[in-house]
Amino acid sequence: MKFTVPIGPQHPALKEPISLRMTLEGEIIRDADIRLGYNHRGIEKLAEERTWIQNIYLTERICGICSHSHSTCYTQGVEKLMEVEPPRRGVYLRYLVAELERVHSHLLWLGVAGHEAGFDTFFMYTWRDREVVMDILEIISGNRVHYAINTLGGVRRDIDELQKKKILDSLDLLRKRSEYYFKIGANEPSFVARIAGVGYLSKEDALALCAVGPTARASDIPFDVRKDDPYGMYAEVPFEVCTATTCDVLGRVVVRVKELMQSYNIIEYLLKNLPDGPVAVRAPRRAKPNEVVSRYEAPRGENIHYIKSNGTDKPERLKVRAPTLANYPATIVMLKNGYIADIPLIFAAIDPCICCAERTVALVNGRSGEEKILTMSYLRRLAQERWKKTPPKKDVPWPF
Amino acid sequence: MSDSDLIEQLKTLLGEKILEIANPAVRRIFFRVEPAHLLDTVKALKESLDFSHVATISGVDLGESFEILYHFAKPHAQLNVRTQIPKSNPHVESICPVIPGAIFYERELQDMFGLVVDHIPDPRPLITPDDWPAGNYPLRKDWKFERPPEKIPGGKP
Repeated sequence: MKFTVPIGPQHPALKEPISLRMTLEGEIIRDADIRLGYNHRGIEKLAEERTWIQNIYLTERICGICSHSHSTCYTQGVEKLMEVEPPRRGVYLRYLVAELERVHSHLLWLGVAGHEAGFDTFFMYTWRDREVVMDILEIISGNRVHYAINTLGGVRRDIDELQKKKILDSLDLLRKRSEYYFKIGANEPSFVARIAGVGYLSKEDALALCAVGPTARASDIPFDVRKDDPYGMYAEVPFEVCTATTCDVLGRVVVRVKELMQSYNIIEYLLKNLPDGPVAVRAPRRAKPNEVVSRYEAPRGENIHYIKSNGTDKPERLKVRAPTLANYPATIVMLKNGYIADIPLIFAAIDPCICCAERTVALVNGRSGEEKILTMSYLRRLAQERWKKTPPKKDVPWPF
Repeated sequence: MSDSDLIEQLKTLLGEKILEIANPAVRRIFFRVEPAHLLDTVKALKESLDFSHVATISGVDLGESFEILYHFAKPHAQLNVRTQIPKSNPHVESICPVIPGAIFYERELQDMFGLVVDHIPDPRPLITPDDWPAGNYPLRKDWKFERPPEKIPGGKP
């Protein structure tokens, strides 16, 4: 007998409302189907009616976690269309905020991964540290979520020596704490055993299904736009592309942990080598008819904007592809042949955004169409019970 | 591999199929093919030049026709293949047999522009709601949103 379990459209494991239908055989997922559009806001259509400047703030509101990545991707594309070169100090500050955002997004995601695996201490530790990053972002931009620091031709705010010192001090604290927590992770074999081997995505599948970001890098594909197609000042900043070979949730944790360390190094480099000079130049109000493809490595993967101008002060077409959409086909493969109890963990592994509300999941009997309501906490309890039943894999090494 | 090397390789690989080729910026190459040659081009790009990652597919409404851009990426190269189909008969071949990861972008195109992707493995709507009125394609330039008049239940007519 087969059951179909709808997950979503409203679900705590996903930031965007999305409907997934799981076909189950016992506890094992045999098929997954995806349906989008529950929160389609028509931003691409709206962007055609706004001016170039207004669209910065519109694109910033595409995502609530990586808000800076969309506005930066848009701004760097429009600057190319307008043939404006932002000053070097402006560029450094723009990508300083970008790296801080990556740190905050990865810390958030690590906490979520710990929470879904039943390791709530990890969740509380990483989220406490996330506050430190949010405070740094507030020092720089005045805002914690939508930083609104980009403008055409540079950034809107400068930082002084005192702010710089404060940021470097907080960074030392973050680095020390992160290293300590990852040691804790290493000494917690049940956490490693819970995430090892879950949500397997082979390298071939990841390539064929065009996965991006940490999901692809965890399947041993060294695909990072910062290295492959350097934008801003990334060509002159030393850093490494982080990959893992295990192709599972453990690999995705490893990639993000390594990237955190790389991001701390990049932030330190940017602050210590911050050039002098202005932070912005004047940009024209119109752009000549042209087109540009702008790429950006957001915390969750490659972000791509196709922008076409027609000579007026409004874009002819703005096409936005966020990394999560690129990872959905791969998620279906990850879910297949997994356990229903692993759904929250696998979901969380591609998408670091979780609203913590308690929502419900309906369980439909495939034959009678009868529905049963399951809460997310019940699913989580299932996940933890399944772990208790399985003996810990003693030989799984912590990769640090 | 520099852009000029890649353009040479493209010209030897695809020959007459490339109609216009441009290299407006570093690591950005745009070229146009006829819709009939699209699937062969994508297959050749994947097999000979290792362009197996489709970043996205963009549609643009040009008035009388639709322009479709396939954005390919690989390390140190980014390639955009464009093709144009008439609005009166908007049919384009699916590239999913070659690149399975393109399925969501093609379904998005169908929803938003009302063009027909032939031989698509899964033609169901992806973004528009189940009760979306037929013949409404939001990203066409002549489509305008009109908010339906608000009806308050039990209120005055």
